[in-house]
Amino acid sequence: MTSISRLIAEPIIRACVLFLFVALVFAVSAVFAGVVVDATTMFSVLQNFAMIGLVALGLGLTVLIGEFDLSVAGMFILGGCVAVIVGSNGPVFGLAVAVLIGIAGGIIQALLMIRLGLNSVAITLGGLLTFTGIAHVLTESKSVLFNDLSVALAMNVPVLGVFSLRSLITIACFLAGGVLITYTRIGRDIVATGSNRHAARVAGVSTSHMLVGVFAVSGALAALSGALLSFGLSAASPTGLSNVMIPAIAAVILGGGSLSGGVGHPIGIAAGVLVLAIVRSGLTVLGVSPSVHEIVTGALLLVVAILDGPALGERLYQFKSMVTLRVGSI
Amino acid sequence: MSPKYFWVERLMAFRPRLWISTHGALLPLGLALLLLTAMFTPGFLSAPNLLSLVNTASVIGCVAVAMMLITISGNVLSFALGVTTGCSAMMFAWLTGYESGLLATVGALVFSTVVTGFQGLLIGLFRANPIIVSIAALGLMTGAAELISQGSMIYASGSQLQGLNDTFWSVPASGWVLLALVLLADFILRFTRFGRNIVMLGSNMTAAKAAGISLWRTTVGVYALAGLFSGIAGILLAARYNAGSLEYGIGYDYSAIAAVLVGGTFIGGGEGTALRTLAGLVVITGAGAILLLHGVSTEYQFLFTGLVLLVAVLVQGR
Amino acid sequence: MMPVIEARNISKNFGRFQALRNVSFSAAPGEVHALCGENGAGKSTLVKILTGVLQPDDGQTLIGGEVHGIADTQHAQALKIGYVSQELSIAPHLSVLDNVWLGCRGVPLLHRRNELRERARRALNLVGLAHLSLERRAGTLALGEQQLVEIARMMVRDVAVLFLDEPTATLSDREIECVFSAIRELRRNGKTMIYISHRLGEVMDLCDRVTILRNGENVISTDVADISRGKLVEHMLGRSLSEMYPQAGGMSSVGALEIRGLMVPGKIRGLDFAVPRGKILCLAGQMGSGATEAVRALAGLVHDATGSVVLDGMPLKLGSVHTLLERNMRFVSEDRAGEGLFLNLSVEENFAATQFDVVRRFGLLLPAPVRELAERLADIVTVNPDRLRSRCGDLSGGNQQKIAIGRCITPGSGILLMNEPTRGVDVGARAEIYALMRQLCDQGYAVVMTSTDLEEVVGLADMVLTMYRGARVSLYGRDEISASRILLDITHPLTYENAA
Repeated sequence: MTSISRLIAEPIIRACVLFLFVALVFAVSAVFAGVVVDATTMFSVLQNFAMIGLVALGLGLTVLIGEFDLSVAGMFILGGCVAVIVGSNGPVFGLAVAVLIGIAGGIIQALLMIRLGLNSVAITLGGLLTFTGIAHVLTESKSVLFNDLSVALAMNVPVLGVFSLRSLITIACFLAGGVLITYTRIGRDIVATGSNRHAARVAGVSTSHMLVGVFAVSGALAALSGALLSFGLSAASPTGLSNVMIPAIAAVILGGGSLSGGVGHPIGIAAGVLVLAIVRSGLTVLGVSPSVHEIVTGALLLVVAILDGPALGERLYQFKSMVTLRVGSI
Repeated sequence: MSPKYFWVERLMAFRPRLWISTHGALLPLGLALLLLTAMFTPGFLSAPNLLSLVNTASVIGCVAVAMMLITISGNVLSFALGVTTGCSAMMFAWLTGYESGLLATVGALVFSTVVTGFQGLLIGLFRANPIIVSIAALGLMTGAAELISQGSMIYASGSQLQGLNDTFWSVPASGWVLLALVLLADFILRFTRFGRNIVMLGSNMTAAKAAGISLWRTTVGVYALAGLFSGIAGILLAARYNAGSLEYGIGYDYSAIAAVLVGGTFIGGGEGTALRTLAGLVVITGAGAILLLHGVSTEYQFLFTGLVLLVAVLVQGR
Repeated sequence: MMPVIEARNISKNFGRFQALRNVSFSAAPGEVHALCGENGAGKSTLVKILTGVLQPDDGQTLIGGEVHGIADTQHAQALKIGYVSQELSIAPHLSVLDNVWLGCRGVPLLHRRNELRERARRALNLVGLAHLSLERRAGTLALGEQQLVEIARMMVRDVAVLFLDEPTATLSDREIECVFSAIRELRRNGKTMIYISHRLGEVMDLCDRVTILRNGENVISTDVADISRGKLVEHMLGRSLSEMYPQAGGMSSVGALEIRGLMVPGKIRGLDFAVPRGKILCLAGQMGSGATEAVRALAGLVHDATGSVVLDGMPLKLGSVHTLLERNMRFVSEDRAGEGLFLNLSVEENFAATQFDVVRRFGLLLPAPVRELAERLADIVTVNPDRLRSRCGDLSGGNQQKIAIGRCITPGSGILLMNEPTRGVDVGARAEIYALMRQLCDQGYAVVMTSTDLEEVVGLADMVLTMYRGARVSLYGRDEISASRILLDITHPLTYENAA
């Protein structure tokens, strides 16, 4: 019994259990609604997974190290715009430039943060606005179209029935992240830095290198994700900041990450993203309007924010003792 | 200290509080630069331009004062104040259908106060992360407003609050409203117990708790106040355009936080005044207008806000 | 013999506070060298300079006879210098194995190797943690076990010089024995160890040489065999106890504060005591004994504390700071920067922070009454009134502590709860703070405090309640207090452990 509760307390396991539960609920409700669950449904789930997955992974790594990268949403947009504009000389080149810009943006932010001893939220808020601003300037605040439609087709054509190039890249990144955190020294140092930064520094971990690396990866993943999506849509636009930010944060916390740092794992985050992808595809299949998606994701985020609150346990304790007191007096 | 020198000392003490703060080093520089460029920008100091500038700035200013309260209380910033402004403008426009300006005003203000105060409740009670709560509120409110209004604009019927578009002593009413809010906010922060609690909470939350300040009450209070101010901004917007739309509040959060930071409010909380936020707002909107007059296109405005915000944050570093 | 590590004429300032003045130190290979001194004597600063955590303002560090700067902790590791710090440096979310190897140079990228596991196992066995699973999460270990894991971390690194900053402060008897045997084993292998401790018994037993610092200056450096215990104390203090501590007052009456059955899950298992007005009760116990927690619980800061508290015959609700303020029960935290003061607010705002009811006029907080109150309190606690408008963080630790106490002075006399009243306070201000506490007691205050500084406990307290692992060991009145008894109680609770 205790071993089961300890397993559930493990963030990855908790996220996976949640994923299975949500999948089951939607499968059952699909059966009752008379909707057929087939490869197409799976494909749409994985496409949604690919859309927020990489942003969530990058954000999740910064949460794991005890920081918070707000700029991923801006880098997501900038990456998409850059890839489409530069991509006219070849999509791979566009992708590479976008990723390089992502890495550079992440490194600059991390260096400023460390050198000036500033809070990551403050710096990345500036980054968020600056990156979006650059995207606005590059596109002159208009949607830009990508003319090579074959790229969009290649991005979205089903591979092995349920995957696409985008979702395969996303899955590969998650697996690489999982290996990095679980099996390498760098992963161990990242967790140590998030767990107790002072202790890690005293022990000899170069915490600033870890921070710079994590922010570079976070920027790169956000830019890559934006570029892939823009190629998939054959268009990029500098608006729509919150479209990716809300689900990405929700996925990280649903996936077992905690803003206090040191907790979280790429596999858990993947499970969190899958939960949101299933909810999104499920709602689409059930035919509700897109604004309901936003409400559901927002409500989910609110719930996980409360669950992550450090004072939750204290309040529950107070509530419990209040109830027992009341019952006792009766 | 002899009473003779009391006022001398007070006057001496007043200046540093406004201008020379560790974090507000940018402010005098920005104001001086602004004044200098304004003189060499044809058309900037013309009455119509200044009037339209005050009109735009006053609405953002109300949101900036609201944002400043949240920043001072140690909750960094909210991404939901802009959307609250938009929603309360819609609420106001919708309620004017009942032919009562009072009902519309009260309804819109109660809505914005309660919605924002509820976020404060979650943050204060569970210590949920304020940024995430505000992002969730942004999603929830955008979704709900879109669902209810079906994405269309709500037009106000009647003209109960046309007075808000008049000018008094050649300053638009919205400018007076902003000034009143600034003074009110500074009065609360400096001279009331609630205000001191906000500052202490932002300065050091653990110490505030140990000193017996109720974290959740103060947080709810500060968020409710911020919501009230955003609601007032929404009403100003609705009165100006005679309509309410979700589009109205977009981007206000970013301009507001930029004004707050340029005004030298410490991003970690516990330091800052509304008057300085107002000065920060003048720098931001003035500079934006000057850029526009010099033929810099609007795309650069976003980038400009971003860079200014980044610099304002960097100045706060050691 | 050539010293393996040496410091020459090191000086270090923190702001205006001079932590070290021309301090020299050297340790030969294969010796266990004790570094002794009171709190604030500069031991930790010297150690931090020799381990690359801090850089000296002036002076040289020598490694193996050559002048050699120590740039940072990484560099110190490359120079084979190890450091077990006083504050634990365990990453709570990582396993024991990962914590042992954390930060070690030369661990391969793919670090899950059997060889590393075995070496970690051997090191853990050596420090007496043979029973511990390598995969256990470090955050779930007891404090003493975490300390031992840290020592194991240094053992796998093959260091030549090892600094141990108060390694036994949190350990039980058995664990202390494990540390000692590990140290002796390392000495046999020719390693040098610098052992920082208050506990003179350990120094006499374990160490070969001793260097004593006082107020940031060298006092003496000698072989342990050549110095008596009494002489050691004399060198450390440099004055007699009676100069430092004020005379106890005679006022005594019925119990003002009575605590019955105070419990905190996992920390305190039922604690009863009573304090009369005019007395200082000191809860003495090591880290993890529950003494600090008890004071925090009384201050209303532990949400799951239970028990009955009666103040002046009226019951008091635990867990509500607000009620405590109304009943004039105030708390002075040991963590001034984190929990005690608002460092970026002005001194006068800090004085007024808990006294708004006193300074309120027409429901408002006007500057004049706040000023008046601050001036009055500054006068009582002897803070320079010219500094009332300064930022509180710009003042010295001693002045900050006086402000924290001044904030608690209310019109009627009350109860003062204090954790470590003189942590981070220099010796001069310390005497003033003791005098202030005694003065308040004479006015009818009762003080409940904790301290890990044994000398302070003996010198200051009217009553001492010793604690071990969340329960009371015994209670001493003024005449029965002695350092040896208290030390025995908080570290060697034989009677208690036999009973349990």
